Amino acid sequence: MKPVRMKKLKAVILDEKVDNVVRQLHESGIVELCDLSEKLEDVEWKSLLSPSSHADYVRNVTTLMIKASRILDLFSNVNPKEVSVKDILNPKPIEKKKVQFNTHEEVIEYCEKVLNEISKEVDEPSEKLNELENRKSKLLQLKDQISYLKGLEFDLKDLGPGVYVYIGCGSVPKEKVNELKSELDKVTEEYIEVFTGEEFEKDNKIRVPIVFVTLKEKLESVLSTLRKFEFERYDISDVEGTPKEALQKIESELKNIESEIKSLIEKLKSLATKWENELLVVYELLSIEKERGDAYSQFGKTNRTYYIEAWVPAKDAEKAKKIIEESSEGYAFVEISEPDEPEEKIPVLLNNPKPIKPFEMLTEMYAMPKYNEVDPTLLIVPGFLLFYGIMLTDAAYGLFLTIVGLWTWKKIGKVSEGAKKLGYILTLAGMATIIMGIITGGYLGDFMYEFLNIDIYKMGLAFVNPLGASNFIKNGPIAILGFSIAVGLLHLFIGLLVGFIENIKKKNTMDAIYNQGIWILLILALVIGILCPIYPIVLAGYHVSIIILIAIAIVVIMCAIKGAKENGFMGAFLGAMDITGFLGNVLSYARLLALCLATGGLAMAVNIMAKIVGSSIPIIGIILAIIILIGGHAFNFVMNGLGAFIHSLRLHYVEFFSQFYEGGGKKFSPFKANREYTTT
Amino acid sequence: MVDALLLGAIGAGLAVGLAGLGSGIGAGITGASGAGVVAEDPNKFGTAIVFQALPQTQGLYGFLVAILILFVFKTASPWAMFGAGLATGLAGLSAIGQGIASAAGLGAVAEDNSIFGKAMVFSVLPETQAIYGLLIAILLLVGVFKGAGAVSVAALGAGFAVGFAGLSGIGQGITAAGAIGATARDPDAMGKGLVLAVMPETFAIFGLLIAILIMLMV
Repeated sequence: MKPVRMKKLKAVILDEKVDNVVRQLHESGIVELCDLSEKLEDVEWKSLLSPSSHADYVRNVTTLMIKASRILDLFSNVNPKEVSVKDILNPKPIEKKKVQFNTHEEVIEYCEKVLNEISKEVDEPSEKLNELENRKSKLLQLKDQISYLKGLEFDLKDLGPGVYVYIGCGSVPKEKVNELKSELDKVTEEYIEVFTGEEFEKDNKIRVPIVFVTLKEKLESVLSTLRKFEFERYDISDVEGTPKEALQKIESELKNIESEIKSLIEKLKSLATKWENELLVVYELLSIEKERGDAYSQFGKTNRTYYIEAWVPAKDAEKAKKIIEESSEGYAFVEISEPDEPEEKIPVLLNNPKPIKPFEMLTEMYAMPKYNEVDPTLLIVPGFLLFYGIMLTDAAYGLFLTIVGLWTWKKIGKVSEGAKKLGYILTLAGMATIIMGIITGGYLGDFMYEFLNIDIYKMGLAFVNPLGASNFIKNGPIAILGFSIAVGLLHLFIGLLVGFIENIKKKNTMDAIYNQGIWILLILALVIGILCPIYPIVLAGYHVSIIILIAIAIVVIMCAIKGAKENGFMGAFLGAMDITGFLGNVLSYARLLALCLATGGLAMAVNIMAKIVGSSIPIIGIILAIIILIGGHAFNFVMNGLGAFIHSLRLHYVEFFSQFYEGGGKKFSPFKANREYTTT
Repeated sequence: MVDALLLGAIGAGLAVGLAGLGSGIGAGITGASGAGVVAEDPNKFGTAIVFQALPQTQGLYGFLVAILILFVFKTASPWAMFGAGLATGLAGLSAIGQGIASAAGLGAVAEDNSIFGKAMVFSVLPETQAIYGLLIAILLLVGVFKGAGAVSVAALGAGFAVGFAGLSGIGQGITAAGAIGATARDPDAMGKGLVLAVMPETFAIFGLLIAILIMLMV
């Protein structure tokens, strides 16, 4: 019920051996390294140890990683991965490559070798591709600009500076042409000739291409005048012939480039399929080395030794000690001690038996428990499944959910840990739904009654009818409501009891009484008072046992005292109202009935609509009815399946956890090699 | 005696109409946020749909109660039918609040997928009010209580109590939206955020309680 007990591991290791120690610890993945840099700020520590920085080889590793990721980027550009629905629903696990390296030098050497080999094959086509793509974009720009110069017959190679004159081209808005011409004549003293071509439209504006010839020494003033007239200058060079001829030439060159690019991409694609996996292996190996090298920055060091602190689960402590001693060949001193830091600094690792381990996901979603707090996972499981079952309560939906859950667990779960856990939870929830569905006689709502004319409630196949009477229980909704409230009281009682015991253990007797004790008393009084109503008092026509009234009075007074202690008179008044909060918690469980009815009721609504459509429209009515049935039930299943999940969670997070659970621990994150593509 | 079908029909209309109004506004609010999210990242379309589905449940409850009134509990007291429609319809306006919370939830999940579960839990809080409305509607229709409070015009009081108190869902939605933002920044804020976000529910519980007392005592 408590998170795993932790030990603190402290080790002093000879500098020559530390690399191997880090390697072996990383491979084993059982310790969480402590970052000492903050501790080393302390004056006393400072006199003994100096902070250590990243290992020297990290720089080499990073360089290689950049190289590898660049090639990976190139590969994913030319060979984009297509993910089909089939791959999502039934993913293939990644084939892992077996690797064996003893030092970082070996890894770096290996990766360098592979990367060199890959670059030898990839560099040339990729550089060529780059070049061609640059050329292509330049040609496209040229083509664009030249195409605007329609109606101007001149040789494009004459553009630019000559011996005495300068020839330039560009375009201006149509309405400014005349004004521009006269202005240019003015600033150049008519040492300019301007030719205009056919107008064209660009960005919703009519523009006119112009070519101007002017004396070189007038160029400056010409350009500054042109700028005032929204002149767009075309920078055309290395082209010969009239615009029309040039365009043809560019077209044919573009065509050649296109086909060349295509063949290059094909070539790179085949290289990608050949090398991609190997490259991913290399990248992973390098990232693992980098993680190891980076770990050094968390250590402290002296002249010849490194000092390491780490958290290790108590049961692995001896193992970790042995790993350090063996991998350092004895040149290390290791000490294992009880945690010497405040509770919130100790990492929390949950440890539940395998069948309920996946439910840790639900605990974590709220918050990890604190180190000395109860791990509520075990307490969540029965309530969660029961509530889910009651809220979805349909055997057919349950069966479908079980299948979905099994598929997620077994197929998608192969590659995703999260899917595995979720699939497992959904499978169990599905089974709970089937059981509750059978008890309440829900099979696609009242499908059996509407279409097959079988009334399961009259035949005695279902225990309770959520919308009426069955052979066993006359008033179904009230029976379920009573059950919901009873389950709610029990659920709250469990939560309160756990909180009470925890508070007593921590010697917070007052908290135990005020926060949990009085409510436990109230619940007990309610149960006793309802089961054996002694000394009943008539209240508004109902007989209420005196036990309940006394308990309520005690609770109100105690709450008022508690409130008064904290906030004086106003606090007492507000405290006396606490009982409404308790009442709210209990009534909140009534949602079990409401959601149970919502699923069954909506399924029934779908059936009724299908039946009306099926019987009132001839021929196609049956097809429409089937569409309504399939679509409607699928919709209802998804909506209520999701709703049941979240409302079930809510009852735990809001009503249940508030009785005893706070959370806020830091998750244990082991120093561990994360291997997706490799294995040792 | 008023014609049973007449009051029942009004109840059914109120249930679908008011709850639909709430759901429409709520889904619209979430949808606007969804459109923004999808514009940034088209892959988030599925997530947007899931969050937009949340404020639509109120409309479904209204629809459900209308069907129950018109087809299943045809023999219930006419005032109970009317009250049931009122309860579900008014409480269904909590969908506006849920829409606000869902919009915040969707925005947070668009930034960081890992808080999907938490955002969901917060977004579903303002549905409690609608569930209480549905609960009272069912209690009225099933005819659990036989007193005047459940079968005469007083049944409207029960419907009003839980229905108007259900509007607290709008406030709860706003708090929940804020709590989602806080949790997105600091995942440990979840517990305290929940405590704050559940506060406005107190009034829905008062409404529920009074509705039950009306049916029980009058």
